[in-house]
Amino acid sequence: MAQKWRKMTNIVETKDITKIYKRYKKKDGLKGSIAGLWKREYEEKAAVRQMNLTIEEGEFIGLIGPNGAGKTTLIKMLTGIIAPTSGEINVLGFYPNDMKNAYKKQYAVVMGQKSQLFFELTVNDTLRLFKEIYEIKEEEFQKNKAYFSRLFEVEELMNVQVRTLSLGERMKMELIVALLHNPKILFLDEPTIGLDAIASKQIRKFLREVNEERGTTILLTSHYMEDIKALCDRSVVINHGLLIYDGKTKDLFDKYQLSKRITAVFDHPVAELKLKKDGVDVILEGEYKKIYNVQKDMTKAVLAEIMQYEPDDISIEEEEIGAVVERIYREGSAVYE
Amino acid sequence: MNKYREIAKIYMKAQLVWRADVIFNMVFTIAKIIFAYLIWSIIFEAKSRVGEFTFFGMMSYYIVNSFLSQLEMSPRISNEINQRIRNGTFSKYMIVPVNVEGYFAAMEAGIVLFYFIFDLIAAAVWILIFRIQFVFTRDLLTIVCAVLMILIGLVFMVQLNFFLGLLTLKYQGIGTFLMIKDNLVSLVTGSIIPLALFPELVVRIMKFLPFYYVTYLPSMLLTGYNQSEALYGVGIILIWAIAMQGIIKLTWKQYIRKYDGVGI
Ligand SMILES: Nc1ncnc2c1ncn2[C@@H]1O[C@H](COP(=O)(O)OP(=O)(O)OP(=O)(O)O)[C@@H](O)[C@H]1O
Ligand SMILES: [Mg+2]
Repeated sequence: MAQKWRKMTNIVETKDITKIYKRYKKKDGLKGSIAGLWKREYEEKAAVRQMNLTIEEGEFIGLIGPNGAGKTTLIKMLTGIIAPTSGEINVLGFYPNDMKNAYKKQYAVVMGQKSQLFFELTVNDTLRLFKEIYEIKEEEFQKNKAYFSRLFEVEELMNVQVRTLSLGERMKMELIVALLHNPKILFLDEPTIGLDAIASKQIRKFLREVNEERGTTILLTSHYMEDIKALCDRSVVINHGLLIYDGKTKDLFDKYQLSKRITAVFDHPVAELKLKKDGVDVILEGEYKKIYNVQKDMTKAVLAEIMQYEPDDISIEEEEIGAVVERIYREGSAVYE
Repeated sequence: MNKYREIAKIYMKAQLVWRADVIFNMVFTIAKIIFAYLIWSIIFEAKSRVGEFTFFGMMSYYIVNSFLSQLEMSPRISNEINQRIRNGTFSKYMIVPVNVEGYFAAMEAGIVLFYFIFDLIAAAVWILIFRIQFVFTRDLLTIVCAVLMILIGLVFMVQLNFFLGLLTLKYQGIGTFLMIKDNLVSLVTGSIIPLALFPELVVRIMKFLPFYYVTYLPSMLLTGYNQSEALYGVGIILIWAIAMQGIIKLTWKQYIRKYDGVGI
């Protein structure tokens, strides 16, 4: 497919891509199942609609949206696993669904719940295999392997059976396997799902370094706003398959993320806090644990007040994506740059 | 080519981890031989020949045949493809720069090679223990034809199972197809009863099916029967393999677009 509109710096360009899934709709009960044997009804589901997206070389871009928004579907189209129902895609000069080896050698994809590792074998075994599959020269292979295993501090885990690794360790290994061939673009679908704070932080550090040092373009989806905020200069928000925001991550959060969640834990019973402020929603008011939703500009004051009660531990979390999306809708103003 | 050799190697290595599987595979080979030994020694008590088989001829046939059918492990390919398409992880094979069919063929080659060694030991041990006067052809051309037939036959089974796995893209449940195939295979490969004991007409029909050449005919050839079919057999199975490759190419092109990678 000739796509002449590609500019040199754009590594990804999509034009009005739409994906409509068809799924078999089963009627209730046994009768419905039997009827379905010869006459099937299909239900159409537009998972991605008329989406235009360009990504420049070297960008680290966040793809966010609530469950079912179409994030994974978009990644599947960009990697060529599925074909769009309509519209044009160009990644690195390829139409991904042609599934050319030349294209496959230039990207990598890691999906939080899928694995490329051989569970019975060691990571080194899998890396060997990938070295051959991607036709990587021995020297470069050794260099990359050493570089990544040092960066992740997993040198001593390279020779243990994969199935004995923890979730966090395994995810690091998946990333190493994916990056072994120096892909130009890396697609990440929820790489930090289920990981604890420390592991997520390590992965963030790792991804930042890969983006900055190696110039790898990265598209990241995550439900953790922390990930997006820490890593992505630019964010794309999608909902119901539509792109509703595309712009600076900072602007997105300044404008639409209006509150933070403060959790305070006490080692002594504390009666109800008398927070004399508007803009504080009480989520939980226990003797030992209190959770508040606090408007962004009030956080300092509220924190100061809580500190007077000498909390044992305190945490401040970003508002979840659902609330942000809702607000973008209410405002009705997607920011396009 | 290096990639495919490495794929074969990694699956060979993976087999080593499942020591229990290896042992079961050997035990199974052995059990089949013992079972055959018991049954046929009862039958041969009354007469010295069944069809054209002597007792040792029959036993030799059984050992070679069970050895070969033990090597035919391609059903795991259709199962793997079926499962992965249904749970959306087939993409594992689609995102790496390899030919997917080649990947599965290499995987199969690795596993088969691994078991080849173990099954060879099992067979040898039983020949010794039961003091079977092993009957084996001395004709070089026959041996070459039989080996070729075995190799092409194994490739064909990989192709067939790959194809059946791909049908998942259209039909979701391929259980029925697999069942039909399995029954045909166990009947026509003569792993239950040597085909020579079937009525003439039935055998003539079976000779058009590829399964006849996968384990049955090579076993017969190696134990010194049916020499006249050797060359002809290589031709037939080769034609099947080539035809199958054409079918796969068409199916892949059409069906892979149906993959929608359900789930996460
Ligand atoms: N194979 C499929 N067949 C039919 N519908 C599908 C299929 N895959 C996804 N969908 C539907 O398409 C929509 C988008 O799914 P997708 O997996 O892209 O969402 P997502 O943004 O990745 O969500 P999550 O955050 O939960 O991972 C969902 O409503 C889902 O039900
Ligand atoms: Mg998803």
